[in-house]
Amino acid sequence: MPGTQKEKFIIPIGPQHPALKEPAHFEFTVDGETVTSASVRFGYVHRGIEKGAENRNWTQAMYLLERICGICSHAHSTAYAIGVEKLAGVPAPPRAQAIRQILLELERLHSHMLWVGVAAHEAGFETLFMYSWRDRETVMDILESFSGNRVNYSANLLGGVKYDLGPAQADSIKRGLDFLEERLHYYMKIVNNDESFLRRTRGVGTMTTAEAEQLGAIGPVARASGVARDLRVDAPYLLYEQFPVTIVLGSTGDLHTRFVVRIQELFESVRVIRNLLAGLPEGELTVRFPRRIPEGETISRIEAPRGGLFYFIKSGGGENPIRVKVRTPSLRNFMSVLVGSVGHQLADVPMILSGIDPCFSCNDRMIVVRRQPGKESVS
Amino acid sequence: MTDTLLAQGLRLVEGKFVSQTAPEANRIDLVIEPAQLTACAGALAAARWGYLSAITGLDHGAEAGKLEALYHFCNKAAVITLRVTMPRDNPVVPSVCAIIPSATLFERELMEMFGVVCEGTPDPRRLFLPDEWPEGTYPLRKDFIVPAPPAAPEE
Repeated sequence: MPGTQKEKFIIPIGPQHPALKEPAHFEFTVDGETVTSASVRFGYVHRGIEKGAENRNWTQAMYLLERICGICSHAHSTAYAIGVEKLAGVPAPPRAQAIRQILLELERLHSHMLWVGVAAHEAGFETLFMYSWRDRETVMDILESFSGNRVNYSANLLGGVKYDLGPAQADSIKRGLDFLEERLHYYMKIVNNDESFLRRTRGVGTMTTAEAEQLGAIGPVARASGVARDLRVDAPYLLYEQFPVTIVLGSTGDLHTRFVVRIQELFESVRVIRNLLAGLPEGELTVRFPRRIPEGETISRIEAPRGGLFYFIKSGGGENPIRVKVRTPSLRNFMSVLVGSVGHQLADVPMILSGIDPCFSCNDRMIVVRRQPGKESVS
Repeated sequence: MTDTLLAQGLRLVEGKFVSQTAPEANRIDLVIEPAQLTACAGALAAARWGYLSAITGLDHGAEAGKLEALYHFCNKAAVITLRVTMPRDNPVVPSVCAIIPSATLFERELMEMFGVVCEGTPDPRRLFLPDEWPEGTYPLRKDFIVPAPPAAPEE
């Protein structure tokens, strides 16, 4: 058509969409099949958790925060507990810290395996999806036998943990790890050798080191691009100083490298859990913890499966927190999707999205309004 | 290591802040004026001193009449926080998105939850709150009271 300007063509995706099982709304502007810009809208599962924490006492808030995410629930409650313990000046005893760390690494195992399955599914590789989800049940069974729950293990207390790890349980964990390690070798072989899989992942969603730095990417996404960011190494908490992990770095920053980095990280998790079980400190599980926390502000950061989890906690000296700010790794990494999808084919977007292992319940923490005529309720 | 990083960061923003405190061993808090925000954030970003990890909004309540925005920059274990205080009835800060494009999601959250205006932010739309959420109601302000949930139906 003469004289017409090129019109923008916007493709809305979500909140219900075929690619992901969780709700978010994306708008991709495309030129033909190529993405030229992207924007996002969250909130479809916002629950008001930050506000809710202000209306609960220190202990109740921990149970609420644990429910931010079903996958990395222990990461949330541990980040919070470490922060509150810092404010109170009452650290958890070493044995409790070791048990927390074992759980964190078990959680990383099942979280990354869940992701391997989801990403394989997005790539059209259903067999790997089925395998990794079946094998993941090994971890879920361990967690269930330990705490009674598959998710939201509720293992933390302020000032310690609820459950001890006996020799029988340690044995069953070790058996589970032996099995998983074997399976991880198998996944690694598929990821590196299967031709159709490589075609869907190699060179897709590439983020260079400089881009990852500039976008502030964190977690496995950053490490696959060669950015050495891992709070377990950079700012060790719990017993990560005595029982360290080696940072796993990739260089190319494409989807394939993210697979490799995540699977390699699991070998590290397996190793550190074995070391912890071998050197589990003796002693108490809990210490006496005050109801009121002295006035102050603290920042507590831990490496959740998806990257650095950030907690800012403010106490006014009372029984309730004044403010709990949670910045989850997915929110930080979403920028890499929005920027990273530009220039790619629209068909690659689901893979780029799942490459960061997005977690929507992590992003959405705040408020859902149900409006009825003449009346408003917030839940 | 952490001390060296903090000292480095502090040198970058020298003369651009009002006062400083060290609330924890790995942290420095810098109180700044809103007008100093882009200079400080720009200096840290240009030198690639860590990354903007989060923006925390704080409401000090109607009596104090102040809102605060905390810009947390994390570099390894070190954290430098830029603290900007604003009057509660007219909270305005300059946007840092021109310097740190990835801050857009953080700023959208700060704006809708606290009613802070990030002047010049590229995308002022809501991020989490629904379209029908009432204008001018900011859920993370202290005077927003969460209504009690509807009573459970009687058995």
